Amino acid sequence: MLSLAACKKDISSLNTDTKNPPVVPAGPLFSFATKAYVDAMTSASVNVNVFRFTVSHWAMTTYQDEARYDFTTRTIPQIWFRTMYTDVLRNLNNSAELVAADPLLAAGVKANQLAILDIMQVATYSTLVNTFGNIPYSEGLDKGNLFPKYDDAKTVSLDLIKRLGNDITKLNAASDGFSATADIINKGSVAKWIKFANTLRMQQGLILADVDDATARAAVQASDAGAISSAAENSIFNYLTGAPSQNPLFVDIVTEARGDYVVAEDLMNKLLALSDPRLPQYAAKNSVGVYVGGVVGSGNTLSIISEPAPKVYAADAPSVVMDYVETEFYRAEAVERGYAVAGSAEGHYKNAITASILFWGGTAEEAAAYLAQPAVAYATATGTWKEKIGTQKWIALYSRPFNGWTEMRRLDFPKITPPASATSAYPTRFTYPSNEQQLNGTNYAAAAAAIGGDKQTTKLFWDKF
Amino acid sequence: MKKLLQSLFVLLFVAVSAMAQERTISGTVTAQEDGLPLPGVSVKIKGTQIATSTAGNGKFTIRAGSNAVLVFTFIGYLPKEVTAGANAVNVSLVADNQQLNEVVVTAMGQLRTKNSLPYAAQQVKGDELTQTRTANAASALSGKVSGLQIIQGNAIGGSTNVVIRGNKSLLGNNQALFVVDGVPVDNSTNNSADQKKGRGGYDYGNAAADINPDDIESVNVLKGAAASALYGSRGANGVVMITTKSRKQGGMGITVNTGLSIGSIDKKTFPKYQQEYGAGYSKPYESGDGFLLIDVLGNGVKEKVVPTGEDASFGAKFDPNLLVYQWDAFDPLSPNYHKKTPWVAAANGPASFYETAISNSNSIMLDGSTDKGTIKIGYSRNDERGTLPNSRVLKNIVNFGGTYKITDRLTASATANFSKIDGKGRYGSGYSGLNVNQNFRQWYQTNVDIQDQKSAYFRENKNVTWNWADPSKPSGLVAKYTDNYYWTRYQNYENDTRTRIFGNASVNYKATDWLNILGRVTLDTYSEHQEERVAVGSNGAASYSRQDRTFNETNYDLIANFDKNLSKDFNLKALLGTNIRKSELNGIYNTTNGGLIVPNLYSISNSVGALAAPIENFEPKEVDGYFGGVTLGYREFLTFDATFRRDRSSTLPVSNNTYNYYSLAGSWLFSKHINADWLSSGKLRINHATVGNDAPWGKTLSVYKVENQFGSTPVVSYPKILGNPLLKPETTISTEYGLDMSFLKGRVGFDATYYTTKTKDQIVPVAVSPATGFNSIYLNAGTIQNKGVELSAYGTPIKTNDFNWTINVNWTKNQSKVLELFGDSKNLQIESFNSGVSLNATLGQPYGTIQGKTYLFNDQGQKIVNEDGYYDQTTSTSNVIGNINPDWIGGIYNKFRYKNLTFGFLIDIRKGGDVWSLDQFYATYTGISPTTVGLNDLGNPVRNPVTNDSKSGGLIYPGVTADGKVNTKRVAYNADSPRLPVSDYSYDAGYIKLREASLGYSLPKSMIKNWGPVKGVDLSVYGRNLWIIHKNLPDADPEENLSSGNVQGFQSGAYPTTRIIGFNAKLSF
Repeated sequence: MLSLAACKKDISSLNTDTKNPPVVPAGPLFSFATKAYVDAMTSASVNVNVFRFTVSHWAMTTYQDEARYDFTTRTIPQIWFRTMYTDVLRNLNNSAELVAADPLLAAGVKANQLAILDIMQVATYSTLVNTFGNIPYSEGLDKGNLFPKYDDAKTVSLDLIKRLGNDITKLNAASDGFSATADIINKGSVAKWIKFANTLRMQQGLILADVDDATARAAVQASDAGAISSAAENSIFNYLTGAPSQNPLFVDIVTEARGDYVVAEDLMNKLLALSDPRLPQYAAKNSVGVYVGGVVGSGNTLSIISEPAPKVYAADAPSVVMDYVETEFYRAEAVERGYAVAGSAEGHYKNAITASILFWGGTAEEAAAYLAQPAVAYATATGTWKEKIGTQKWIALYSRPFNGWTEMRRLDFPKITPPASATSAYPTRFTYPSNEQQLNGTNYAAAAAAIGGDKQTTKLFWDKF
Repeated sequence: MKKLLQSLFVLLFVAVSAMAQERTISGTVTAQEDGLPLPGVSVKIKGTQIATSTAGNGKFTIRAGSNAVLVFTFIGYLPKEVTAGANAVNVSLVADNQQLNEVVVTAMGQLRTKNSLPYAAQQVKGDELTQTRTANAASALSGKVSGLQIIQGNAIGGSTNVVIRGNKSLLGNNQALFVVDGVPVDNSTNNSADQKKGRGGYDYGNAAADINPDDIESVNVLKGAAASALYGSRGANGVVMITTKSRKQGGMGITVNTGLSIGSIDKKTFPKYQQEYGAGYSKPYESGDGFLLIDVLGNGVKEKVVPTGEDASFGAKFDPNLLVYQWDAFDPLSPNYHKKTPWVAAANGPASFYETAISNSNSIMLDGSTDKGTIKIGYSRNDERGTLPNSRVLKNIVNFGGTYKITDRLTASATANFSKIDGKGRYGSGYSGLNVNQNFRQWYQTNVDIQDQKSAYFRENKNVTWNWADPSKPSGLVAKYTDNYYWTRYQNYENDTRTRIFGNASVNYKATDWLNILGRVTLDTYSEHQEERVAVGSNGAASYSRQDRTFNETNYDLIANFDKNLSKDFNLKALLGTNIRKSELNGIYNTTNGGLIVPNLYSISNSVGALAAPIENFEPKEVDGYFGGVTLGYREFLTFDATFRRDRSSTLPVSNNTYNYYSLAGSWLFSKHINADWLSSGKLRINHATVGNDAPWGKTLSVYKVENQFGSTPVVSYPKILGNPLLKPETTISTEYGLDMSFLKGRVGFDATYYTTKTKDQIVPVAVSPATGFNSIYLNAGTIQNKGVELSAYGTPIKTNDFNWTINVNWTKNQSKVLELFGDSKNLQIESFNSGVSLNATLGQPYGTIQGKTYLFNDQGQKIVNEDGYYDQTTSTSNVIGNINPDWIGGIYNKFRYKNLTFGFLIDIRKGGDVWSLDQFYATYTGISPTTVGLNDLGNPVRNPVTNDSKSGGLIYPGVTADGKVNTKRVAYNADSPRLPVSDYSYDAGYIKLREASLGYSLPKSMIKNWGPVKGVDLSVYGRNLWIIHKNLPDADPEENLSSGNVQGFQSGAYPTTRIIGFNAKLSF
């Protein structure tokens, strides 16, 4: 019969996808992962990155859920978690598997590529651990284990710092890393990745300072010399003018044209009070030519409140991944904490602020005049070093809202009053994604208990104050 | 060989002995009901093998001995025996009206009498489907068949969900298979995943809409696996077998239908609006009393302007004496340009946006038959214009069917169905600005007059919206969120075309009396072209996209049929066959990126940004199978069926790619043993079947995705859904018990069935923790059980020559339960919706739980109110707040005939089940719903501020505080108030609908007998969806959905029901 004759033929080949590849080179996976990471960190979409409201840099004109700390209606924690694991980490991890298995790659290049991939993984895991607390780490990214356990946050943080040490040792600027095309952040410069890794280690070390001074001190002191020492060494992700390579802010604000975002009065009033030269770079004037901030968590009328300046959301607006500004703030802090770091706290503070003003398009003269003000000058600005550095860092981390949120939780300055109609007190973490309860319930429950309850007001282990 | 010789000898002997005294008898066989000749009637001489059949004109001749008894048998008629006294014998046969003796078409086209069927099968006649002229044959089945659940949305040309005996697959296809004259007809709904979960897009309809309802002779629904096992895995969800018309009587006939219908929305399914407050989000704005202050006239005076950017109605209280600048004051062409107008509620609300739907349908069917064969040619045209402006679906269908008797033993036949459906301006769906209804139901300002918006658009065809982003400056005169509704309908419309051919060619060879061999090739092929556009000047980036898709499926069948009386008592029917199925889906999707360069040019090359890579898919598939079945009958009261099928599918791993189906079934016509007048027939039936199913295409492998380039950087991503090379077939096991009885000569009767089905080893993309690095992996996991009862009852309470009243009742209760999911997991998310609401398969629960946040209750079950005076809510979103499954569904059809006048109506009932309404959720949030105004317990407007005296507004939520005390805290009620938990917006989805009503009149024969060729004139007036007698979901149709498929129970931007009243004239020649 017909079918009996047909049975001899192998029909399973029909099930092969002829339009999508089963194997790919490592570079494009690395490019995808870095873009996914930077997109998430840069975006202002209320479905992705809500930290601009949390740090009170921006406010919403109409829709207030996220500005009122309601992050679960739009399942923000779930999207954030998913982006980091499936878009970023999985692709970095797979890229590393392909690099390691490539027999044709020169040993030096291979070592550099693996180190760079690991540094990006560390950056991503640090974002996760500083968002949620305990996270799946040692058992994550394994298709053989569909129920990965959550690891203790501090254990993860310590391991991340250790991994950075190994990566820095392995990196060798004498060999190539990824090609300039694949490496969107550092354009193939291994030297810049060394700087990046050192600053990242400094950052992660200082996050532990309040709970584990020895680790923090060792990490910072080991990184000081190798960390970013000039704006030329910044790691910047340069977006492009044409879709679909545009800055996500351009898509959120210009393409969507919804008029959703305005500058928050918390930031606006500070910039006005300090006559900050970055004000015209950060914000636009309202329809009658005045700078007016909006209220976070409350309706704001577009015509009378300032929108962000067009420069912030230009299609090709660069997104800072790691820079001299934050490195100098870390050094200032390290000096204050008594770590063996070159220079004075005041010097690093000045460098940081000056670099920030220059980065945003200000001049050295403007920076000098700004720093000369008693309210800004390190010696005379109000408060402890935490308040001085915290306040200026908060201003400087404009458009880097996740980092801003971490620094605010860590340095406890500036103090933000939650909106009147906030659904919770100030969020110190994200709750775990709601679907983890269903997909990985046993491990979720253990993690929730271990961190002291899965609430967005639970403090992370390093958040002592 | 010896046996063959014996048979030949016997034949010869009979022939010779007959010859000795034989004569020629001739005559005509006619049908008693209309006197027309019947072709194909079997005429046999009793006690011999000598037989013939009538020709196209009903005439026969046969040679027989004196006093021979002629036996006349014909499907659908009672057999008749006549002693051939004379040489001319004219016989009229009586139609068999007893339903248990009905002949039905079963799997693989086998004809069976109903009283020998060991499984549930319910037949619906074609004219019952067309009496209210429904364009989609599938939706006309609603309420007419037990065990069958039809859900139809209200969008023009939308898809119809057809599920038999509950959802069996967790995430796979649960739609019934359609088979038209043996051709499996693809019934895919190719709507996007986003469309199905309410994220916008269009419902392009289901492919069974390409079947011409006027060509349907009958529909037989095979409900259980035992009935459909011969179709293999595709039959696992039940089969809707459609038999198209063919001429039974000799000669030629022409039938013409022409009709016109009009439709209008049922206001009970559309929102009502509060009339007290206008635009705003409970803010003082600049004026302090809810208005912007803008120097509109440029004279330095700031005056009150409506906050046009606010898409809510929590604003200033209406006051006819207050004059303010509204949106039209900024439209230079408006008569109100730079003019203040009174602050009042709109005179013409969103209901006035809906137009009268007009549809006209015309069809002509020509058929004829001779003793050599039959032919049929039909054409039907259905032109439907919907209730939304600029919407139209035009259907043109041409049918062809023919059979030709090449020799007495060899018959060739072919059918072809050619259809072309052109859609334009289908309704936008879900949570999208392209769905004007999303705005009407969720984000509207009650001061916006829709007719003013209409005039504003048509003055210059510009996007003059009420939703100016910032009226204080020219650059702010753009739509903030919402475009002018008419702009949306006339500029941002879609258009689509589906061209399709399905049909078959077959040859049937009658090898012997008891052996038939059928060779058949069937083909189903269609191509779809869909274009969607967003015009330059709309909110958001302008865009143009096109989807091109072709599908084709070819089946090669070779089937041998045996039918032989083994002895006086035993009859054996058997079938052996093979089937090769090849299908191919080939598609490409292209879209512009970042806007359009030249306005009104809709081409992919007109893209502002670099083009994203097109999305291509090419999915070839082959399934080879062979099958067999035997039916053993004993003395016409015991029947035993067994079938077997083995399939090999290309979508499974080689090591696991074959799977088997078995079915065993038996029936006992016990009434043969009971000699009672009141009992006409009684039958017990029982069956059991195991059927397998293969995987969706391409799930054994994982592939990377080449993403859009970043500048010149190539970008590739790791698969988010992992394939699995170890998949095995999934299995459905079903058991069914039935009792069919009829009484009083068939005037009253019922068919009752109890069934269980269990589907295990389901091939599903199991969602996993993203910490694994991917979202889901294909696994064999999960078991769903469905248990249910089906009941079809019929009766003729009154039967006289002039007056007849018949009732048909269908009732179905299906209970599903998720017995097992992957590993320890307790929940599988089917879909996640807006606002933290999701649809799930939850362990131990019926398939399709709705989950979301709910209230916090104390031990006494009282709602807990927090210290701010608002309800506490769960933080978890996994609380079950609803369930999409109805408790039961049913239909009651009454038909009255008085002489030539008939009146019938169908009541369609759904009891229970839930629907979650994003519409109600936002209608309360934005303050457009009448529930957001009114007086509080103190008799003051609830929206007034809380002043803690007798004049206070606000309200006290009933509930208790954390320490158990009754809540007494009065809180403000405004746009900033915390929302009630989403569980508050889960509604009972039950309904009682007057689905169909029709009044028909056939002109008396006496009147038309002089009208030349006209043989019959039937006039009818009909209505569909005339009256929702009862429902619990406010302001919407509980049946309204986004698309067919597994994702049900969610409404966003729901369309109102369209009430249709029509007139049809049918002329027969």
